[in-house]
Amino acid sequence: MKMQPALLAIVLSTLAIPAFAQPIPVGHIADLSGATSDVGVPYGQGVDDALAWVNRTRGGVAGRQMNVTMQDYGYQAPRAVALYQQWMSRDRPVAIQGWGTADTEALVAFVTRDRVPFISGSYSAALTDPTGRAPKADKAAPFNFFYGPSYSDGLRAMLRWAADDWRARGQQGRPRFVHMGANHPYPNSPKEAGEAMARELGFEVLPAIQFALTPGDYTAQCLTAKNAGANYAYLGNTAGSNISVLRACQTVGANIQFLGNVWGMDENAMKAAGTAANGVVFPVRTAAVWGQEAPGMQAVREISRISDPSGNAYRPVHYLAGICAAMLMTEAMETAAEAGGQITGPRIRDGFYARQNWVPRGFEGVCAPSNFTAEDHRGTMTVQLYRAVVTGPTNQGPVDELIRNNTMRLERVATVELERRRDWLGW
Amino acid sequence: MTPAGDFRTSYRADMTIFPTRGSRVALWIGLALACAAPLVLDRYALGLAINIGIMGIAALGLNILVGFTGQISIGHAAFFGFGAFASAGLVEHGVPVVLAIPLAGLATTLVGLVFGLPAARLKGLYLAIATLAAQFILEDFFARAQWFSGGVAGRVTEPFTLGPLRFDTENSYFYVVLAAVIVMFVAAANLMRTRDGRALVAIRDHYLSAEMMGINLAWYRTLSFGIASFYAGIAGALYAHYLLFVSVEAFNILFSIQFLGMVIIGGLGSIMGSLLGAAFMVLLPEVVQTLVELLQGGAIDRALHLGNGVAFLKEMAIGAAIILFLVFEPDGLARRWRLIKAYWKLYPFSY
Repeated sequence: MKMQPALLAIVLSTLAIPAFAQPIPVGHIADLSGATSDVGVPYGQGVDDALAWVNRTRGGVAGRQMNVTMQDYGYQAPRAVALYQQWMSRDRPVAIQGWGTADTEALVAFVTRDRVPFISGSYSAALTDPTGRAPKADKAAPFNFFYGPSYSDGLRAMLRWAADDWRARGQQGRPRFVHMGANHPYPNSPKEAGEAMARELGFEVLPAIQFALTPGDYTAQCLTAKNAGANYAYLGNTAGSNISVLRACQTVGANIQFLGNVWGMDENAMKAAGTAANGVVFPVRTAAVWGQEAPGMQAVREISRISDPSGNAYRPVHYLAGICAAMLMTEAMETAAEAGGQITGPRIRDGFYARQNWVPRGFEGVCAPSNFTAEDHRGTMTVQLYRAVVTGPTNQGPVDELIRNNTMRLERVATVELERRRDWLGW
Repeated sequence: MTPAGDFRTSYRADMTIFPTRGSRVALWIGLALACAAPLVLDRYALGLAINIGIMGIAALGLNILVGFTGQISIGHAAFFGFGAFASAGLVEHGVPVVLAIPLAGLATTLVGLVFGLPAARLKGLYLAIATLAAQFILEDFFARAQWFSGGVAGRVTEPFTLGPLRFDTENSYFYVVLAAVIVMFVAAANLMRTRDGRALVAIRDHYLSAEMMGINLAWYRTLSFGIASFYAGIAGALYAHYLLFVSVEAFNILFSIQFLGMVIIGGLGSIMGSLLGAAFMVLLPEVVQTLVELLQGGAIDRALHLGNGVAFLKEMAIGAAIILFLVFEPDGLARRWRLIKAYWKLYPFSY
């Protein structure tokens, strides 16, 4: 009976934290139904699960729960802008997890005005210059962050690998490079930077080839690339439409080394494309992929159980990237709350600058180290290149089974360290 | 509802828009209530009201074309978009927003006249396909004409300002849209009382008889496209300065079909029906969204394993509502509104 008051106090205090601390409003704009939903769904799920996990196991941020509002915007930039304005007039989120390039770039002016950190799924290099003073940047984006190498840096790294690959294979003459993708801000984002880098490395740059963001018949595009004699092709779209291109190019027998972007290839796409996806090289943002062992994988598996209590689901690379993006934001919030500080937009932004070689606590070996400064929002210049290897038919069994019996695997090809060149900032 | 007997002795009395003192009083009360709305409603509700106003103006334009003239257009969203881009582009070149909006309307009229030219020769399905071409030509133009639209990246634009006043919140922008709605709807109601307006109706009712009465079919059909485009252009410009961002993907064929849906649901050939239809189309997704949020995490959600699929329910419910409307109320909300009014006026003798 003596224990009772003490117990009561403990119970009351645990109840008191959620009851009295105001929840932190956080926005999440996701694409669950639009042109990029093939990769938007796993990424958005990763973000959501990670934030729910922080609420559940760590008691939120500084004892306050995060109140995450997730909305699907169908990859339509105007809908994202409308959503943002709606939020700003009602819940006023202190930070937002975003998605696409068109909407994130459109929102730059708004988030800068309202001082709301915006962690995007878009890795457009135009979002990396916080001052707008870099030689080739056209605007300042002081409140935009993302986890991973920018699209331009990813392509630069792949081109550097391609130049080595060309020499290693003992090929003669100049290799030919072609940029492929939709006429849309996202695939267009690294186009100029990539083509400039290709020329610098001695590639012959062919006229860009367009294909839509939606799956379709892209035989004509593959024939164009084949007839032009392209050796290396950048796929600027997401996995869904890239699958169509890979299949069409396999059919017409085009012998091209494809370079995907971070959203251009994943385990689900490998299964869908089958052997057509074999050999595609693309950057992977996390230091480990699902099924590998690393100290931080324990936490990742716990997070995965939030939406899959059985623990059996296979999580593609985008899910892990979503977790890392969400964890960077939560730790920046924790930094903002340190020493009794308010969790506000500018303080969260400063939280992003607080650490060097920043790996979120508990995610060692999964999230790659990031470095953000007030002058440079390029989180990382290290690009891990992986190759998709598909050895047999993939129409039998789910992804995790195909990975387990080694029909499909992700193979590390190279790690490219790019210089933090100032003329590459914001471009 | 007019009193029993018809005592009107002049054309002026015959053509009045608000026939009874009751309707005139209701009008002024309604206007006063609308003006007071920003004092009571929150910004979310005002945002919806602004959207209804903007969509209502565009739908009215389409109603003049489809409901009054009997033409068809499935490219209305493209004209709406042209107005939005034109206004944003003009502002970019230093034109004040107050002027940019009507100028964008005029520019859109010109474009509408050009794309309306096939209407001089074509009818029905053939005309529909010709306007479909307008939709795709303009959409592609928006995506490629960097100088005009900012290309696929879209264009960020300025809020509406008038001297020292900045209309950049829902509370203030509501008045801009309200003023535009009043001007545009009064203009349309009056247009239908003029010789030109009656010529449009005559063409709809029977084009051969109209031609025999001396109405220039080609001129009036093309003019109808011009007027419809003017309304679309004004609405598009208002939309641009509300959202402050214009991007090509908003103005697709689905949006055009949505305008047609507004006109059909509201009531073909009804001025007020355009606004009712717009209100229906704007509010329906919000109502469904609320229902979806109630469902999320509930017993039905778990039983049917909806999960993320709940988001798609929204789109499906909107489609279903449109089908049900077409089946059960083909004359639109305007007729339903008249029936409700008659019911109350005649109560308890509903015949």
